[in-house]
Formats: sequence, structure tokens, C-alpha cells
Amino acid sequence: MLEIICCFKWVVDEAYLKPDSVGKIDLEMAEYKISNYDRNAIEEAVRLKEQYGGNVTAITVAAPDATKGIKNALSRGPDKAYFINGEGFDHLEPAQYAIILEEVIAKEIPYDLIICGEGSSDLYAQQVGPRLAERLGIPFIGSVQKVQIENKQITVERKTDEGVEVLTAPLPVLIAVVPDINIPRVPGVRDTLAASKKPVIEIAAGDLGKDYAPCLLQEELKVSTMERKCTYFGSEQEDIKAFVEALRKTGLLDGR
Amino acid sequence: MDFKLTEEQELIRANMREFAQTYVDPIAAEIDENSRFPAEVIKKLGEGGWMGMPFSPEYGGQGVDYVTYAIAVEELSRSCAATGFTMSVHTGLACNPIALFGNEEQKKKYLTPLAKGEHLGAFALTEPGAGTDVGGATSTAVLDGDEYVLNGVKTFTSNGPVADTYVTFAWTNPEDKRKGMSCFIVPKGTPGLSVGDHFMKMGIRASQTSEIIFKDCRIPKENLVGKPGDGLKIAMSCLDHGRIGIAAQAVGIAQAALDEALAYSKQRIQFGKPISRNQAIQWMLADMQTDITAGRFMYYYAAYLKDQGLPFSKEASMAKLFCSEMCFKHASKAVQIFGGYGYCKGQKVERLLRDAKITEIYEGTSEAQRMTIAGSLLR
Repeated sequence: MLEIICCFKWVVDEAYLKPDSVGKIDLEMAEYKISNYDRNAIEEAVRLKEQYGGNVTAITVAAPDATKGIKNALSRGPDKAYFINGEGFDHLEPAQYAIILEEVIAKEIPYDLIICGEGSSDLYAQQVGPRLAERLGIPFIGSVQKVQIENKQITVERKTDEGVEVLTAPLPVLIAVVPDINIPRVPGVRDTLAASKKPVIEIAAGDLGKDYAPCLLQEELKVSTMERKCTYFGSEQEDIKAFVEALRKTGLLDGR
Repeated sequence: MDFKLTEEQELIRANMREFAQTYVDPIAAEIDENSRFPAEVIKKLGEGGWMGMPFSPEYGGQGVDYVTYAIAVEELSRSCAATGFTMSVHTGLACNPIALFGNEEQKKKYLTPLAKGEHLGAFALTEPGAGTDVGGATSTAVLDGDEYVLNGVKTFTSNGPVADTYVTFAWTNPEDKRKGMSCFIVPKGTPGLSVGDHFMKMGIRASQTSEIIFKDCRIPKENLVGKPGDGLKIAMSCLDHGRIGIAAQAVGIAQAALDEALAYSKQRIQFGKPISRNQAIQWMLADMQTDITAGRFMYYYAAYLKDQGLPFSKEASMAKLFCSEMCFKHASKAVQIFGGYGYCKGQKVERLLRDAKITEIYEGTSEAQRMTIAGSLLR
């Protein structure tokens, strides 16, 4: 029997980000979704539960209107959810998320394994996982692409630039998973309807030990634009010379 | 008065969107091109509980309301109109006769595997000489001992070549044009039942359509749905239900046309600026969005009335009429926005325009809908 916690973030769905004619992005109309890799985290938690038995608790720190996100997460298989919410909680710093998660988890949720996505779809800071593990005083393993559990011991495959690393650690442990670990299931009708009936434990900002406010204030969001220059060259010898000359003028060939 | 969907309905929409993006978008062009039935996707829809949404869990369904079901049809059709239609015709026309008019035994034996998505259903009503004029049918069913003997030819039977269960209609008393037709369940493999070749259609090409031929096809008399003579009533009631599905399908196609047109108009540069900066294009986009929103609320309303147990026949007709006509109009506008590129294979809008046309024809032509609506006004 495993007690598994999976953490997820409710983020703006980038498919809905449409710049206006001056390149400004209006988040008012945007839809939200569960951050991509966090879907893998939830899926892995549910698969491990199906394999070894136990309970899966989903947890998020979000703005109060993220109730849809809770149902969305629960439709993917967790047994219950913790919804820690407050104004501005969608724009906190990774360090603040880690502090809040630690406060709630340490106080009231039993765990053998905590699973996070490697990074969030919006900021991709990759910090909440390791910071949370550090605060809880448990081992952290990132870039995990395969998990096995035996005798309260976890064995993972870690994807690195050099190759695959195999590590073991005693439970409890916190892992951050990469998308190679699984293909998240698409919730069916029954799972979707069941989501509304699962327990949700709501913790409001006022119930936390201290106040949290976003440190960074986003003034404006604009799309990045790329200046393109388009010049056509032929394939004769003098055209090639002209091409090299044109490249030289851009300064791109300097220092070579 | 509340125009908001419930969180559950929004989640159904989001999860169907995810299903469609994962399993349908990658094959939609291929199954259209090859006129291939996506059996693998239909199986997954069944496993997810999408093939029997509005039916009681007692009979393998999910027990959701009709609004929620129709939202799922719209969202699936946005990716592939043929797949959306397969779900819609299975639920609305093949399962409904048994769910609404069948007895306990029939629900257990036939509805349960259909609603679970283990079996696929077809609705065989139309005949070569009987389209809008259902009474022009010539198929007959004669009681012989404990069996009915069916003879006749059905055509344009959607899911015909791939169905496990056929719901069909034949005269038990050809003299009585109002109460002489009856409804029957015919399982695949019944001797005397044969399935014609799959028709090559202009659009919804992945949906399989064929003739169904009954030649001295003997079925047990327990397979009569309702009472002898209930056939016309059952067919008309189920077509009312089906029209909500077609209206939702049409909105899905129109939404896909807008999705495509909007994205393309922002990236297509002519005269040094995106064509979306031209008022001519903006007005097309604005009209699309307006009609899509109107159409969506029309099918929501028809489905809502059905969920409340109120009469919804006229509203289903109006929703189907409006949604199908606006869908074809705007699929054509989307091709216009794409210009020559939109006229070529490989662009989704080319498929959308072909798929859109059928919504004005099947499950009651636009003309038949106008007859129904005018009839209810002038009654």
C-alpha cells in the first residue's frame, strides 16, 4: 500500500494565447489546463496505485477560481484532492509554492512518494520539486522516466544528457518526471462524472501560517517577434560571392 | 435563467477535446482520403463510455443528460465529422429506439452491449423510394408462427457495413398508412440479412454507408420494438433525438472552420499585412462566430427541453435546420479565406466543406425541417 501525492499546476493553455494586432496577449479569454508534465505526474501516481495498491492525493496551489482544475485532475484517477487557494496564488514564486506545499503536506497528508512534473508549462523553473523535497528532508530525484518500487525502496531511471542513470532510494522520496515516463490516459465519461463525487479538501489563504503575495508583478505580456530579412541569390559563382559578401555585412561571419 | 454550462459539462467538453486531439486529429485526413472506418477509435470511444452517454447505467450507459451528450458530439465532430456522426447515429438513432420503446429483455440483450460500445448500431429506415416520404416504404414483415419474416431493401444505412445490431422498419399492415409500420431489431448474421457495398460519398467518408437487404429474413417475434404499428411513432421520435446530434455535429464542423480560418487569416500576408486586417475577412469571421454561438444555444435549448421532459420536436428541427445551413455557409467561407489553398486536398477546410453538405440532407433535409416547423406553426 502506497500513499502517493501528485502535485499539479493549473496554467494558461498556450493554445489559447492569441496576440492582438499590436502583439499584446490578453489572458482574460484564455482557457486553463493542467500543466503538461504534471499530467504525466498524475498518470504515474495512478499507475503505481493500480500496480501496488494505495491512495493517490492530488494537490495544487492556485487561484480560487481554479475549481475546474481540481475536477480535471480528479477525472484522471486520484482519490482525493487538496485545493490550496488564494488571490494571486496563480503567480507565486516557486519558492513560495514549495513553502505552502510543505506546510500542508507535513501537517496533514501521509506520503511514501511525492511526484511532480519536471517543470511547469508556463515558467519551467524546475524548482518546486527539489525545494519541496529539501524542506521535507527527503531525497529528490529529477528527470525520471521509469519507476519501480520494491520493499519500500524505489528504483528509477533518470534521463540525462550522457545517457540513462539508474538510482535507488529508500521511501519516502520525491521524484520529478519527464514526459517519456508514460502517455497519460484520456479520462472517459465515467471518470469525468466520478470526479465531482470525490473529496476535495479546501484550504484558504487565511488558513495558512502566513501571508503570501506574488513577488513579481506582470505589467504586460507581448509576443516575441523575429525580424526577418529576405534576399534572393542565384547559384552562379558571382552569386555565391555576393551571398558571402552579404553575410559578411551582417557581421555574422566575424571572429571565424 | 442560466446560460452557464456546469463544471461537469465543461469538463466533458475538455476531456472529449483531449480525446479527439489524441486519437482523432492524427488520422482524420487519412480516414477521409481512404474512406476508412476508424474501428480503433470507435473501440476507444466505447471503452471511455462515450458510445452510450445518455442511457441508464443499468443498461451500460453513463446516465448523463442530453446537453452533455450533445456537447461531446460537437467536440468530437470538430476534429472529424464522420467520427462524430458515427457516435451520434449510434446513440441517437440505433440505441434510442430500444432505450425509449424497448422492453426489459431487449434493453438487457441489445441496448447494454450497444451502450457499452461493445456493439455498434445502425438505423435502417430509408428505402430507395422512401426518403423524406417515410410512408413510401415497401418493406414488409409478416408474422409466421413465432417469427416475423422481413422482406425489403433499405438504403443509405449509416454504419450499415460495420453494425452489430440493426433497428429497422417494415409494414406489418400495409393498408394502414398511419399505424401499419412496425420497428424491429435484427442482429448481424441473421440468415436473410445481407449488407450491400459501402457507398463512396462526397463527405463524412469515414462513416460507412450501405444498402441493407432483407430476403425472407426471419427474426423472433420478441424482436418487435413496442407494439405492432408503433413503427412510425418510434422512427419520428428517434429522428427528433437524432436531430439534436446533427445540430451539434454541424456546430462542431463550423467551429473547426472558424478555428482554421482564424489561424490562417492571421498568418497569410497579402499587400504587406495579414489578411485578417482586411475588413472583408473580419466580417466573415464575425459572422461565423455569431452563427456558431446562435447555433450552439439552439441545440443546447432543444436538448434542455428534452432533459426537462418537455416537447422538443420543433426546437430540434429548428436547431438542425439553422446549424446545418450555417455550417455549410461558413465552411464555404473558410475555403474562401484560404483561397486556392483551401480548394486543395490536404487542407482541413476542403474536408470541412464536403462534410458540411451532408448535415443539410440527412436525418431530415432542410426542406423537411421547414415542413415540420411550418406545420407546427400552422397547426
